[in-house]
Amino acid sequence: MSDFLLQIKNLHAGITDDKKEIIKGLSLDIKAGEVHAIMGPNGAGKSTLSYVLTGKSDYEVTAGDIIFNGKNLLELSPSERASEGLFLSMQYPVAIPGVTTNVFLKHAINAQRKYKGLPELDAAEFLKLIRGAAKEFDVSSEMLKREINVGFSGGEKKRLEILQLSLLQPSLAILDEADSGLDIDALRTVAEGVNKWHNQNNSLLIITHHLDLLNYIRPDFVHIYADGHIVKSGSMELAEDLEANGYRNYLEE
Amino acid sequence: MSLLQNINLWGDDIPYLSGLREKSLISFEKNGLPNPKTEAWRYSYFREEDLQNPQIDNEPVKCDGHCHNGDELPFDALQIKYCNGKLHINDWNAPKGVTIKSLIEAIYDGDIKSYLNKSFNADDFPFAALNGVYLEQGLFILIERGTVLEEPLYIKYHNHADKNRLCNIRNVIVAENRAKATIIEHFCAEERALYTQNTVNEIFVGSNAKLQHYVWQNEAKNAHHIALNSVQVKEGGNYAAFYANGVCGFSRHESYIRLLQEGAGAEVNGVYKLSEANQVCDISTNIRHLAPHTYSNQLVKGVAKTKAKGVFQGQIHIAPDAQQAEGHQLHRALLLDDNAEIDCKPELEVFADDVKCSHGASSGDLDREQIFYMQARGIGEDEARNILVDAYLNEVFALNENQDISEWIKAQF
Repeated sequence: MSDFLLQIKNLHAGITDDKKEIIKGLSLDIKAGEVHAIMGPNGAGKSTLSYVLTGKSDYEVTAGDIIFNGKNLLELSPSERASEGLFLSMQYPVAIPGVTTNVFLKHAINAQRKYKGLPELDAAEFLKLIRGAAKEFDVSSEMLKREINVGFSGGEKKRLEILQLSLLQPSLAILDEADSGLDIDALRTVAEGVNKWHNQNNSLLIITHHLDLLNYIRPDFVHIYADGHIVKSGSMELAEDLEANGYRNYLEE
Repeated sequence: MSLLQNINLWGDDIPYLSGLREKSLISFEKNGLPNPKTEAWRYSYFREEDLQNPQIDNEPVKCDGHCHNGDELPFDALQIKYCNGKLHINDWNAPKGVTIKSLIEAIYDGDIKSYLNKSFNADDFPFAALNGVYLEQGLFILIERGTVLEEPLYIKYHNHADKNRLCNIRNVIVAENRAKATIIEHFCAEERALYTQNTVNEIFVGSNAKLQHYVWQNEAKNAHHIALNSVQVKEGGNYAAFYANGVCGFSRHESYIRLLQEGAGAEVNGVYKLSEANQVCDISTNIRHLAPHTYSNQLVKGVAKTKAKGVFQGQIHIAPDAQQAEGHQLHRALLLDDNAEIDCKPELEVFADDVKCSHGASSGDLDREQIFYMQARGIGEDEARNILVDAYLNEVFALNENQDISEWIKAQF
């Protein structure tokens, strides 16, 4: 039994029914407690990686393996992956008219509890849980009553993603461009939330194309992603070098 | 024609009643049943054979009462029941200012004469003509001027599986000036029951009166249900209907609403959720703006799968002198698989020049991004789809003024 939380081995993937490969032989190992950052230029397919990991049906894995918590991730449905402890904070969280935030959260929490063989929370237990967490992450009760992400500002959407992170307690969180659309205060709130959740038993994969968020959530490893695979790995210094000199030096001619 | 049966009904010796029956018979014989060329029925036409020879049951009601056991409503209501098309119990404690009596009694007393068969032309509604041939079962409900009926009036229709019946029911509901009332019609049946429910409601809404009308239909898979709500609204009055259509082999709810005087208004909203193969659900409206400043709103949303068919036909007519009338209509549907069918026909006839009118129709599938977002939080695909369907329909439920009734229907929908 390896001590890796996530192992990606020589992954090849693209859009379903499209022959063009987007991820071309990507390998990455993440241990419990580690923070990894994947940096790469816009349009390099960073989001594709997050969707392939979470199992979005528009994407297809053509070769390679992904082992998560000792299980073959590729055999699990998206909801099973989530219940196994994989969380994706989306770059653009989807609005769902007609479903209030409260109702959505209750469905999500109870679906994961059911998967784990735990009893579902009743209305009172849920309220108690949600109220405490919402206060901690600066989510107002008014926001919880609104339809999820409908008319939410960029900051509100991201705070809600972090609230979900805290409620669902995944073992691996992928933050896909978590800083997009945030002003500096909102960015700080999000980073603080993530840091509160993060401990030595869970891991983070931050997908970003600039340094801002990494100044608040210090990665242990930084990977430069280009042309479908990781071209260089290093420490935070690598990210700082990227910020100063751009991606040019790392892109293949 | 087997739908015309030579039977004796109560009151054939009363010239007024036999005259009405005779008039309806002439109309029915002249026009017959809708056929594929009948424009108003082109999407929901069915053959007479499909009804499988239903019989008119002219025997007294035979029921041990099991049809309405366990009828606990989460709100207070005056309860009235029909069992196999027959009015069941007649010891209503009508509150002050409210008259509730059987159609027969009202015909005998004569106080129904200014309303019965006065709100529509039988030549335009073949099943209403058939209904008139067998005028007998029904209710007369009168809410007197200025009376506010606090508790809703709950009318339950239940059908047993013992016999294939043709149930013709005529209700006349009158809300006099400034009266206010809420009517709930709940149609249900034993699962294997086979019958044809042919209901006509004649509804008269007086000046500044307000009538809310909820229809919750969850019947037998093989049942046919044809309903006409023929409504008149006077100055400043308001009629608001809400249809919720669940299980029923064939159903057609037709609203024929005439906004007679200035400021009269109507709302017709509805939801349908169809999942039985070959199920047909038709919601048809004809709202006629006949005076200035009249207004109407319609929002109907439906979901269909597995070879089921949803039909929405919405007609808004604005007469030449109905200036500054407003009529809005929207039908939206989700087709959850490739076998389902939705037919939508909006019709606007506008003869006045200073009006606001709109109509819209859309159909589509559930949003895959929304499904994925829910899956990514641990919610299984089927559950995610159910949540989204409910959310889709919620928009209509949310418009209901009486949320106790709305929530009660939603919980069973």
